[in-house]
Amino acid sequence: MATIFARRGRARLVFAAALALTLLGAGDSDPARFSRVGKRLMCPCGCAQMLLECNHVGCPDSDSMRAQLGAGIAHGDTDDAILAGFVATYGATVLAAPTRKGFDLLAWIMPFVALGGGIIMVVYFVRRWQLRNLQPAFAAPRVTGAGFEEFRRRAREETEL
Amino acid sequence: MTIAACALLTLAVAIYVFWLHDDGDAGEVKTRLAYLKERKDVVYENLRDLNFEYKAGKLPERDYASLRDSMEQEAAAILAEIEKLELQHQLGRA
Amino acid sequence: MAQLGSFALLLALALSGYAFFAGGLALWRAAVPAPAGPGYDPQIDLTRRRDGGAAAAQGPDRLRETARRAGIAIWLTVTVAVIALLVAAFTNDFSVAYVAHHSNITLPAAYKFAALWSGQEGSLLFWSWLLATYGLVLRLRYKTDRRLFAYAGVILAGVQFFFQLLLVFAAPPFALIAGTPPADGNGLNPLLQYPEMVIHPPMLYLGYVGFAVPFAFALGALIMRYPGEKWIHITRRWTMVTWLFLTCGIFLGMHWAYAVLGWGGYWGWDPVENASVMPWLTGTAFLHSVMMQEKRGMLKVWNVWLIFCTFMLSIFGTTLTRGGLVSSVHAFAQSSIGDWFLGAAGWSGEPWKSVPYYVPGFLTIVFAACLYFFIRNRDHLKSENRLESLVSRESSFLFNNLLLLAACFVILWGTLFPILSEWVQGTKVTVGPPFFNRVELPIAMALLLLTAMGPLLAWRKTSVESMKRNFGLPAIAAAVTMAAMVAAGVRPWVDAGSFYALMTVGLGVLVAATVVMEFVRGGRVLAAHNGVNLAAGMLQLTRRNTRRYGGYVVHIGVALVVVGMAGLAFNQDKEQEMGYGDKLAIGRYTLVCRSYTQGQSEMVAGTTDPNYDYEAAIVDVFRNGKLVTTMYPEQRFYHSSRQPQHMVAIRSTPREDLYIIYAGQNPDTGRPIIKARVNPLVMWVWVGLLVMALGTAVALVPSVAAAKLARAAKPAPVRGRLAQQPATAATASLAAASQTGEAGD
Repeated sequence: MATIFARRGRARLVFAAALALTLLGAGDSDPARFSRVGKRLMCPCGCAQMLLECNHVGCPDSDSMRAQLGAGIAHGDTDDAILAGFVATYGATVLAAPTRKGFDLLAWIMPFVALGGGIIMVVYFVRRWQLRNLQPAFAAPRVTGAGFEEFRRRAREETEL
Repeated sequence: MTIAACALLTLAVAIYVFWLHDDGDAGEVKTRLAYLKERKDVVYENLRDLNFEYKAGKLPERDYASLRDSMEQEAAAILAEIEKLELQHQLGRA
Repeated sequence: MAQLGSFALLLALALSGYAFFAGGLALWRAAVPAPAGPGYDPQIDLTRRRDGGAAAAQGPDRLRETARRAGIAIWLTVTVAVIALLVAAFTNDFSVAYVAHHSNITLPAAYKFAALWSGQEGSLLFWSWLLATYGLVLRLRYKTDRRLFAYAGVILAGVQFFFQLLLVFAAPPFALIAGTPPADGNGLNPLLQYPEMVIHPPMLYLGYVGFAVPFAFALGALIMRYPGEKWIHITRRWTMVTWLFLTCGIFLGMHWAYAVLGWGGYWGWDPVENASVMPWLTGTAFLHSVMMQEKRGMLKVWNVWLIFCTFMLSIFGTTLTRGGLVSSVHAFAQSSIGDWFLGAAGWSGEPWKSVPYYVPGFLTIVFAACLYFFIRNRDHLKSENRLESLVSRESSFLFNNLLLLAACFVILWGTLFPILSEWVQGTKVTVGPPFFNRVELPIAMALLLLTAMGPLLAWRKTSVESMKRNFGLPAIAAAVTMAAMVAAGVRPWVDAGSFYALMTVGLGVLVAATVVMEFVRGGRVLAAHNGVNLAAGMLQLTRRNTRRYGGYVVHIGVALVVVGMAGLAFNQDKEQEMGYGDKLAIGRYTLVCRSYTQGQSEMVAGTTDPNYDYEAAIVDVFRNGKLVTTMYPEQRFYHSSRQPQHMVAIRSTPREDLYIIYAGQNPDTGRPIIKARVNPLVMWVWVGLLVMALGTAVALVPSVAAAKLARAAKPAPVRGRLAQQPATAATASLAAASQTGEAGD
C-alpha cells in the first residue's frame, strides 16, 4: 500500500502519515500498550509523578497499579475500560490529563481559543497601526529651508556605516 | 550582650539615616535638551541600522530611500533644535 | 543570636516602612505642583524649560535622602538577620525551631548553608535579603538619574515592606522551640542534599527577585511620567542579568531532577517548575518587545503590562512554592502564607446569608496599584510610530510575544484548572504532562520557526525577495538534516514523539543556520567596508552591537537545548533483578553486575552517628565486548530524616547518557533491582545552557561604537563640529570613518 501511495505523489504520503497517526494504537503489542496506557495515569500516592515514572522506594500504590494495568491488558480490556477501572478506584485525579468530555473539554479548548483570540488581536492592531500617522510625543518642530539640508548632511555623515 | 548589640545596631542605623552631611540634592528635572540628545542617539542608531541592513541586502532600493528620507528628516529636526537650545544656553550664561 | 536576629528583622521592618512611606511622601510633595488630570499637556514638563540645561533643580530634599539611606540600612539589618540564622545553624542551636527542623549535627557544612533556603521562613528571609541587595545596588547608583531612582527605590521599599511584614508576623525565622531544645535536629530533606541544591534555589530566587527592579523602574517611570525611553536603557542590564539567573535556576533545577529524582527525565511539568517558567516566558517576551519601544517608541502599554505581569508572576511563583496552593514534589514547606499573597475571602457569618468580605493580599494590592497608575497616566504611553509593514522585525516581535504569552497562558491555565474544576464540578482533576506536552509542543514549534525567521527581517520593512533568498540555504540545511534523520530510521508517521523530534531538530538546525548566515552576511559587509577578513568582520560586527549578536548566540543555545530535548523521543529503559555476574543489555551497552557494597558516610568530627548509610552496586559497562567504564549507582538512607534517596550513576557522552539507578532490593528474593536507561542527546541540553549564558554575557558587554560615540559627543563644541579640529581621538576616528565611507561610495 505504501508503494502505491509513494507513486501517487507526496500529498498522498502526507495523508498516509496522518492516517497512520490516527490509527495508531489499534494493533500494538502488549508492552507498547502498557506503556501507552500507563502514560495516561498518575501515581496517586502524593509523589506527583507519572505512574510509570514513579520509582520511590516503598510507594504504596504504584506496584499494585502496574499489576492492575498489566492484568487489564492481558485480559484484553479496552483502554477506556481499563482507565475507567482506575478512576473508580482512585478518583478522577488518577488520570494524567483532563478527559475530552463535559467541563474537562474546556481545559483543552481554552488554550486554542486564547491563541486564536490573540492572533485576531495582533492582526487587528497591526492593521490599525499601519493606517495611523503618529509623531513622537515630544517631537522637535520641523525644520525647513537652507538649515535643513545642512543638518541633514550632518546626520548622514555621522551615521555612515 | 545581646541588648548591647541591638542598641549598637539601632544607633548605627539611626545615625546613618538621619545625620545628613550633604543636603540631599533632589536631582534635576530632565531638560528638553537631555531628552533631545537621547532621541538623537536613538534616531542615529536606527539610521545606522537601516544603512547596514540595506548593505546586507535586506531592503529593496525604493524602500531604503523612502525610509532613510523620513528618518533623516527627523534627525535634522532634532539636530536643529539641539543647536538652538545650546546656543540659547550659551547666551544665557554669557 | 536568635534575639539579635529577631531584633534586626524588626528594625528592617521599621526601615522599609520608613523608606516606603517617608520616601513616598517626599515624592508626592515634590510632585504636587506638576499638573495632572484633564487638560494636562504632556509637553509641559519639557517645554517650560527650553533654556537647555539650566533647568532649576528642585533644591535639596532631605526627607527623600533619609528615605534613600533607610533603604540602604535595610540591607545592613537584613544581613545581620541572615548571619544570625547562619550562626545558629552552624553552632547547632536547636532552640531555634527553624534550625531544629532543617539541620542536624552531622549535616555537611555546605548543606547547613543551604538550610538557609530549604524551609519557608529561611527562604523568605533569603528572598528579602536578595531584594535588599538589589535595592542596595540601586540606591548606591542613584546619581545616574536621581528622580527616577528615587521613584524606583520607593517602589522597591514597598515590596520589601511586605516581605518584612511576612518575616515578622507570618513566618518568623527565629521562632524558638517550645520546651527543651532537642539534642539533634530533623536534618535537611535528603532530596536537597545534592550540590545543585546549593546553587539552584539562590539562582532561581535571584531571577524571581530581580524582576522587581525593572518592575520598579517601569512603574516609577509611569508614575512620574518620565519623558523618553531612557529608563529602558537603564534597566536593560538588570533585566538581562535577572533573566540569566532565572534561566540558570531553571536549568539547574532540571539537572537536579535528572540526577536526583531518578525517573530519567528532567522536566515533569510540576506546578513549581511551571511557576518558574511563567515569569521566564513573559520576561523573555519583555526582553524582545522592549526593543520596539526603545527603537521605535511603540508598544509602550504592552511593555509596562508585560513587566508588571512578569513581576506578579514571580511573586505568584513564590506563592505557589511556599503557599501550598497546589500539590507538587516541591511541597517542602507549606502553610497559610498564601493568604498574605492572594488575600483572604470569606463570609462574616453563615455563607450566602451574611456579608462577604475580602482582605486584599500583596498581589491584589500590586495589581490595583499598577492599574490605578496606568489608568491615571495612560496618555503618557501613547505610541510614537506606525507600523510600516507586516513583513518586518516589528511584526515578528509581535508574533513572538503572542506565542510566548500563549505558552505562559497554557501553563497558568493548566496549573489553575484543577482548582477551577473543583469549584465548578466538585471534583479535582489532574492536569499533567500529557496535557502540557500536547498543547505546548505545537506552540514551541511555531516559536522556533519565528526564532529562525526573525533575524532575517529588517526593521520597518523587508523585501520578500531578500527574505526568500536569505532563507534558502538554512532551509536546505534543515531539509537535509531531516532527510538524514528519516534515512537513519526516524519514522515521524509512526508516533507523535518521532514526529516532534524530527520537527524540533529540523527547526533547531534552521535557527542555528539563519544565525550563522546572519553573522556571515553582516561580517562580509563590514569586512568589505573596513578591508579586513571575514572573521575580523564578524568580530567587529558583534562588538558594534553586542546586544543583537549576543542575542543571536542565545538563539543558538536555544537551538542546542531543543535538539537535546528531541532525544526524549528515543529514550530506552529496562529494569532487572541482578545478582552477581548477571547481565543486562540496553542500547549499545551490556551491563554486568560485579559486586555490591554497603557502608556509611564519613563521620563529622566529634559525633558518633553518620549522616547516612548507603548500599551501592558496582556495575561494569561493556560496549562491543570492550569494558567502557564502571559505574556505582547508590541508595542512601538518611538517619535523622529516616528517608531513603537514590544517587543515580550517569555516564554522559555527546551521543547519549547511560543512566543507572539502584532501585533497592526485591523484598521476596532479596536480590537488588537495577534500572537502566539510555537517554540520547541529553548532554546538549546542558551545553545549550552554557551557550545561552555565553550569549547573554556577550550582550552585557557595552557596544564599542556606542561608547565611542558617547565619548565623542560630549566634549565636542556646539557649532560646526566636523568642520573644526576634532576635539578628541574619538571624534577624529569618527570623522575619519565617515570620510572613508564617502570615499568608498
